[in-house]
Amino acid sequence: MALFKGTQQQYYDNSKTFTGNGSNKAFVLGFSPAPLLESDIDVFVNGTEVDNGDYVYASGTLTFDTAPASGALILVREINVDDQLGNYQYITLQDITNNFRVAYVGEGKIISKVKIPDINFHAQRAMQEFSYDTLKSEKSQEIELPPSLKMKLPHDYVNYVQFSWKDNAGVERIIYPVRKTSNPRAILQDGSYNYVFGDDNKLLTVEDSETWKAFKANSDNDNTVENVSGPDTDATLAEGRRYGLTPEHAQFNGLFFIDNSRGYAFFSSDLNGKVITIKYISDGLGTEDEMRVHKFAEEAIYKYIAHAILASKVNTPEYIVARFKRERRAAIRQAKLRLSNLKIEEINLVMKNKSKIIKH
Amino acid sequence: MAVNINTVYLRVLAIANKEQRGYITPQEFNTLANQAQLDIFEQYFYDLNQFLRLPGNDTIHADPVDMLEEKIEKFSIFNAPATNANLDVLQVYRLGAVFARVSINGATQIIEAQHMSHSELRQYLSSPLTAPAKTRPMYTIDNNSIVMHGDGVDGTNINYIKKPVDVYWGYNIINGEALYNPATSINFELHASEETELVLKILSLSGVVIRDPQLYQIAATEDAKNIQQEKQ
Repeated sequence: MALFKGTQQQYYDNSKTFTGNGSNKAFVLGFSPAPLLESDIDVFVNGTEVDNGDYVYASGTLTFDTAPASGALILVREINVDDQLGNYQYITLQDITNNFRVAYVGEGKIISKVKIPDINFHAQRAMQEFSYDTLKSEKSQEIELPPSLKMKLPHDYVNYVQFSWKDNAGVERIIYPVRKTSNPRAILQDGSYNYVFGDDNKLLTVEDSETWKAFKANSDNDNTVENVSGPDTDATLAEGRRYGLTPEHAQFNGLFFIDNSRGYAFFSSDLNGKVITIKYISDGLGTEDEMRVHKFAEEAIYKYIAHAILASKVNTPEYIVARFKRERRAAIRQAKLRLSNLKIEEINLVMKNKSKIIKH
Repeated sequence: MAVNINTVYLRVLAIANKEQRGYITPQEFNTLANQAQLDIFEQYFYDLNQFLRLPGNDTIHADPVDMLEEKIEKFSIFNAPATNANLDVLQVYRLGAVFARVSINGATQIIEAQHMSHSELRQYLSSPLTAPAKTRPMYTIDNNSIVMHGDGVDGTNINYIKKPVDVYWGYNIINGEALYNPATSINFELHASEETELVLKILSLSGVVIRDPQLYQIAATEDAKNIQQEKQ
């Protein structure tokens, strides 16, 4: 059975075509997933949109009040639909657990019996582990940085991959972390430097520490990339190439630090008003829709689950556990190689670029 | 193909009466026939467990596991909507897989649910990675009824083995004799290959009823011989 569901017309155009025969009133749309409401579809007959009072839609079937004429071209288009574009490269966690049960679990197979929730548990753990260091980071958020110079960490944030800001040409300029400042929890003190306690006998603190205020107030806006003249965009990326200085400070893309306890990222003042993008890692379990894995890593997930189940069952021969440990490692390595997306032409260009800089 | 009850009845009578051992009344036969049928049927599941541990062969018609599955499949009901979740109402003999019907993005999907005991369910509920959900349903049996766990489950489908129908040798009394009436009779639902086994089982039970240890012994020995041959 082919893995591609639906039709190519549905995929590219969110539509489906039928031909009337003069008597048939009901047409099964066959959209996968089916539109929920009548308002989720538009219907055209011979290129003219049909008033939605002239048909009824329910449970995947469109029924006209009057049968379209013989030979009439009926086009049904889904609206307000999430595009399925690019989905073929992924496999859902649900499919993975089903496939795993078929291939690995049962009489005469490597795992004779296991509870479905146990498979689900290990599949989700695999999803988390793979999200951290095997699958490509696809999550991002873009905001305009407010004067507070703070950005809320995303709701499903686990760690960041990169912070950047967009320059006038749309180039993402990497913002580097600063290690020598922070926003410590500032304790409120009275005029005699005594700690101040609240009604619940807990220490009172202020939101912004003096350290952060001082860092925030530092406005060295002259040293920004817009002030650098010259056509060489690559040079103005300034990825720590001023030799002899600490690389993290030898750039003018701006700085940030993260306060995980408060859930904020803090930025240097030269980024005020800039459009900031965070690319980050989640664990892939935030919503049902994102519980999917690239097909390059499918085999690695099976091996991960198999090893995890075998290793946690009593009386599994140790050589079986060891075998699956090796297979898991090999499959993960293969998945990482595949997902690293190495293309010879691109490597060629990168290497040429490197040699050019060395000649300088 | 089912086993005709009249054939079994006549054979039982023929063997039991051969040496004037005694007479089995139709009422007694009907009781013993149902007992024998359930006895044979129940044994399928234990035999299957036993045969699954043996290597088997690739012939299908002579592989013990395939043969047993063929016998059981006559009673197997697949993916039946369970509007009433009570197992007695559903005439369930052995419950198989239980599925949750859920709606995902407007499409109905059937997802297998995992059976949990009440104590296990408590443990699984306590972890966010194992707690039941729409796409990861679980069920428990409460008061002999299926109770599905997981928000958004629209309904339940089940695979199960139904109980064999009660057999009945129907008869009319004519001139003081019970004459077979096919219209009111209910045949055995067991596989046709069980005919001999049924006769032997009923004979064995008849020996107990008519207090003839010899009849019991002969039938039991024959039955044991068959079992030994099947399981060698």
